[in-house]
Amino acid sequence: MTDQNNKHDTHSPLNAAVQHPIVRLSDVCKTYEQGKVRVNAVHDVSLDIQHGDFAALCGPSGSGKTSLLNLIGGLDVSSSGTVIVDGIDLATIDGSELSEVRKNRIGFVFQSYNLIPVMTAYENAAFVLNLQGVDETECRDRVMATLKAVGLEGLEKRRPDEMSGGQQQRVAIARAIVTEPAIVLADEPTANVDSHTAESLLDLMEQLNRQQGVTFLFSTHDQHVMDRARRIIQMHDGKVASDHAQAG
Amino acid sequence: MNIISLASRNVRRNWQRSLVTTLAMAFASTIIIFYGALMEGMVRGSEHNAVAMSSGDIQIHAKDYRDDPDLYKRIIEPDLLTHKIRDAGFRAAARIYGFGLMATDSSSSGVQLRGLDLQHEQEVSEIDQHLMSGTWLRNDDSHGVVIGKKLARQLGVALGDELTFIGQTADGYMANDIFKVRGILKAVSTAIDSAGVFMPEESLRELLTLPEGAHEIVVIRDDPTVDLKVATQEVAALAPAYEVLNWQQLMPVIARFLETANVQTLIMMIFTYIAVASVVLNAMLMSVFERIHEFGVMKAIGVRPWQLVRLIYAETILQTCIASLFSLGAGWLIASHYQKHGMDMSALAGDISFAGIAMDPIWYAYITPEVLITPILFLFILAALAVIYPAIKVALIRPLDAIHYQ
Repeated sequence: MTDQNNKHDTHSPLNAAVQHPIVRLSDVCKTYEQGKVRVNAVHDVSLDIQHGDFAALCGPSGSGKTSLLNLIGGLDVSSSGTVIVDGIDLATIDGSELSEVRKNRIGFVFQSYNLIPVMTAYENAAFVLNLQGVDETECRDRVMATLKAVGLEGLEKRRPDEMSGGQQQRVAIARAIVTEPAIVLADEPTANVDSHTAESLLDLMEQLNRQQGVTFLFSTHDQHVMDRARRIIQMHDGKVASDHAQAG
Repeated sequence: MNIISLASRNVRRNWQRSLVTTLAMAFASTIIIFYGALMEGMVRGSEHNAVAMSSGDIQIHAKDYRDDPDLYKRIIEPDLLTHKIRDAGFRAAARIYGFGLMATDSSSSGVQLRGLDLQHEQEVSEIDQHLMSGTWLRNDDSHGVVIGKKLARQLGVALGDELTFIGQTADGYMANDIFKVRGILKAVSTAIDSAGVFMPEESLRELLTLPEGAHEIVVIRDDPTVDLKVATQEVAALAPAYEVLNWQQLMPVIARFLETANVQTLIMMIFTYIAVASVVLNAMLMSVFERIHEFGVMKAIGVRPWQLVRLIYAETILQTCIASLFSLGAGWLIASHYQKHGMDMSALAGDISFAGIAMDPIWYAYITPEVLITPILFLFILAALAVIYPAIKVALIRPLDAIHYQ
């Protein structure tokens, strides 16, 4: 494992001393068939995401950002290459194990929040912990602490339709981080909220990243969001066009 | 949050659809419970009419008597045989039969005279309690008779009217006498209704100059739980010289009909439930497709396919439980009402009979545990089958496809 990591250390432009990337992509391709046309959504991507990264996948629509997030999140299977998340090669495990990886090691934040509408904020945030079988007392402590951390203290009993878009996205972030996953994947997390709310969500994610060490990889094509990231991975036509650090 | 709580909220989410689905299941089960109770009532009523009013559990005849009911084909020393049968744990009564013509001033009809041992007949038959009007026979009223309702109508007689019998005695002379109508029976069977004339055994013996013997011994099990075939074999062993048949052998058409009544209920239930299954399937499919995006998200964050299957089943079972409680209550109430008061079919069908056995025009329901439980069990099975497809659909869909499902 260590040898393999060393071999790919050059993939990351960030701290080269980090030996265990959370995500390692090696020569990953994803090809879709659209009728008789083959579309290379992701083409020969090699990439490491390190612990504590606050990275943005940037690029225009169709550049392969979401496809890449789906591959890292185990929601899709690569056509070739390897995707290793927290030391697990996703190509070598079955659907059931993939569910376990998603449940235990990855947090998802979707563009349109995707909360379960019949559950309260507390229940949505606790949902994955319940799936993990965490006992009730610990679950309650962790969820309450997380909801407080995302600024939703006092709104635990509200259902999604009783909250604003920003509040719903905060619940989604709480749901994603409460299990302390290896990485949080966020697909255009600020796309459906106004600029003020977007700013506060970015503040929140940055704060969680700096204070709690949560690793974030989010896709965006919003320049303002890109400016907040400390690492920019620029995608173009399914390829990584550039990968560089910047001051967050 | 447990699965029942989540399922409950999902059921309430689109409460109109859940209500329609639940009501469809509840309505169908209620109908089936009621229908089952009616069929059970009809079976019990028919069996009662067949056994308790006329045939008894088992009958003993001289060989060939049933094919050729000759006055001389008799059971010799019937008292001795009935004693043996009673000692073996049965109830038994001997009967004698005669045939002739019963006439009034304006009408006449062929009749079957039935001479009853009044003391023991009450132990094997309930026909004395089945009077439409008048009173039952008395030993001290040797010329009093009870007749079938159709015969009374045909002869145009009422209680207290006189009837003249013309026939032949056992020794070949003409038999004639005058009798008074003491009672008229409710519908029992085609034979009794249109030709039955009941009188005390001694009166008939005297009329036919038949000093001894009997044409029939009727046997009833003291313990009705004893298997009828076993009881028949026991009685046959006591009367090896005679033909011993139980009521199912004597009336095979009725026996077969009653045996298959449960099958008829089952067929009715299957057809009704197939219609309901389509409602449940449609509702659950709509419910699943409406939430396919949500299921995709759930899968994406780690819910396993079988956990979603459990959720779909929990939602269905929850609705089925509510429907079951409703239908048990409603079905029991309706069936109870008709068990107590009956459903008067006389205006629709008049006298109803099947294979010669009259059915009470007041159709009573009868509730048994099976009548209540079977439709509910089938409802659960049906609901479980109906949601297989939606559940599989959810289990197999890829999370990515579900998330992007429009």
